[in-house]
Amino acid sequence: MSAEMLAMSEYGRDPRKHHFSPYADNGGTTIAIAGDDFVMVGSDTRLTNYSGILSRNQTKVFPLTEKTMIASTGCWADVLSLYKDLQAKLTLYSQEHHDEMSTPAIAQLVSTVLYWRRFFPYYVSNMVIGLDEDGSGVVYHYDPVGHMEKLRFSSAGASVAQIQPLLDNQLGALNMKDAVPPKVTKALAHQLMHDAFISAAERDVKTGDSCIIYTVTKDGVAEEQVKLRRD
Amino acid sequence: KITYFQSILSYNGGCVVAMKGKNCVAIASDLRFGVQLQTIATDFERVFEVGPNLYIGLPGLVTDTQTVAQKLQYRTKMYEMREGRQVRPQTLMAMVQNLLYERRFGPYFVEPVIAGIDPSTNEPFICAFDLIGCASTPGDFCVAGTCEENLFGMCETLWREDLEPEDLFEVISQSLVNAFDRDASSGWGAVVHIIEPHQVTTRRLKCRQD
Amino acid sequence: MSSEPYSFSLTTFSPSGKLVQIEYALAAVAAGAPAVAIKAKDGAVLATEKKHKSILIEEHSIVKIENITNHIGMVYAGMGPDYRLLVRQARKIAQQYERNYLEPIPTTQLVQRIAAVMQEYTQSGGVRPFGVSLLICGWDNDRPYVFQCDPSGAYFSWKATAMGKNYINGKTFLEKRYNEDLEVDDAVHTAILTLKESFEGQMSSDNIEIGVCNKAGFRRLSPAEVTDYLANIA
Repeated sequence: MSAEMLAMSEYGRDPRKHHFSPYADNGGTTIAIAGDDFVMVGSDTRLTNYSGILSRNQTKVFPLTEKTMIASTGCWADVLSLYKDLQAKLTLYSQEHHDEMSTPAIAQLVSTVLYWRRFFPYYVSNMVIGLDEDGSGVVYHYDPVGHMEKLRFSSAGASVAQIQPLLDNQLGALNMKDAVPPKVTKALAHQLMHDAFISAAERDVKTGDSCIIYTVTKDGVAEEQVKLRRD
Repeated sequence: KITYFQSILSYNGGCVVAMKGKNCVAIASDLRFGVQLQTIATDFERVFEVGPNLYIGLPGLVTDTQTVAQKLQYRTKMYEMREGRQVRPQTLMAMVQNLLYERRFGPYFVEPVIAGIDPSTNEPFICAFDLIGCASTPGDFCVAGTCEENLFGMCETLWREDLEPEDLFEVISQSLVNAFDRDASSGWGAVVHIIEPHQVTTRRLKCRQD
Repeated sequence: MSSEPYSFSLTTFSPSGKLVQIEYALAAVAAGAPAVAIKAKDGAVLATEKKHKSILIEEHSIVKIENITNHIGMVYAGMGPDYRLLVRQARKIAQQYERNYLEPIPTTQLVQRIAAVMQEYTQSGGVRPFGVSLLICGWDNDRPYVFQCDPSGAYFSWKATAMGKNYINGKTFLEKRYNEDLEVDDAVHTAILTLKESFEGQMSSDNIEIGVCNKAGFRRLSPAEVTDYLANIA
């Protein structure tokens, strides 16, 4: 083969660098609100890839134990991978201890699992929600590399910018003169979560279709689905 | 040392929101003037009076905020003298569109928001622009600035139709303050103008200072 | 070029302080075909005589009353070609205004800006003043406006006026006939009668033109409409 022909062929060109992006942003929004004897967590059900819709009915909240759930959004591949990993670890734990792992212990485990991948992180926004050993609701919020914060309420994912200030105001009673944070009832939590999702669906293309709201109590997990705008 | 550069529009921080009410409009902004993460001043007004019932907010790059404010003042005052009448909100919208589009390929880095009441019809008017002058005139509220998304979330939930002036003040204040409290580039106090046909009420809000 | 000798304005002061070029221009106007404008309660009217030099001319190929915007109309006395240029300028000014402010130009603004153009032609090098006076009527702010614009750049707001040949008789007639409660239909009549004062021969829709302005805008009346008005007078 002549030198000219070699230069013209694909494999004969100068060496080139091809970029591989290991991450995708598949959207999704989650909200969690803790009460005295319950915790409520909701997610929208839209799964996206840029402006394409991959699914209109995909929850981002997954059960871990009878009284603990994880809400996970971001790179969908990492969400699934992380959930599988956690499931495996929890199964091992329950087989070794003949008991389910407590919510605070799971919260710590998630932090550790995330930090293991400190230099190639799971691209996920996580919240662990459940009932603690006293039966009261708790919410743990994470960054992608395992920084953990225990909260009364939080949101995560695509529409966090639209939703979090609202929760600060309505549940945290921030910037309200002489106001104390309200007693969080199931009705209040449900109403607020619904309103927040409607507002987010109005202004964020990555949030919409419907939302599934899970209520965790000592009696188990109740599930409800509410429609959102689909455009 | 880790340094990073955001867009020019968010170099100085700041945000503006405008809302329609029943026979009234409101416009509010934060008071922070920063350079990236460093706060330089906490008394920087980015909302300017154009007429007795007409205000414009200019969030964005502060040097352009000031330039655009001055250029608009020049154009509106010339208009007032030439025609012997006040600038109407719709007219100001057209002037801003032209001013910004004249710099289509080297734009002023501001995203203006107008709030006003038409002096002849008493009709409330709000509108918002992108940095090259594309205007939109929604029926509810306009937001712009570094915490635009936060403002959208707050306004979308708190805003209702036919708000009376006192309620409008409460809604716009809570929307603004809670939105910029989740944004490091905006905040450090706020100013709110409630515009009614025959009076304008201006209030400063106390806020968290961090 | 302004640096060249003798390139200064033709409109140069005479030792007595007069600008004779402008007086000549006004003489050209006074020799032109008559034009009348009347402001009514609910609108304004323009009317003009349109005599043809030859019976062979297609009567309706020539028009003197022109729309500047939807709500402003214009007519002239004096030199036709000069008028066409001013119409083009006026339309351009009106469109520029609308482009800048997204609203139709107020009549007062248009008049001021046309007057500025006319003034410029009294002071620039290498040009002469316009040989026309304009009558401009418009509707805005829920009321009618009537203006006159002279070659010097001076402009006046009128309740009613006449210009061109025999304008003094026309104005005297209007002073007698005008009253504040006139409606557009009456104003059209009065305008026709004013033209008739000095009209030689038989008036018809071929040799007069009428324009009417009200809150719906300005329009030139069709020959059939003019014929109807003429029938009511006789």
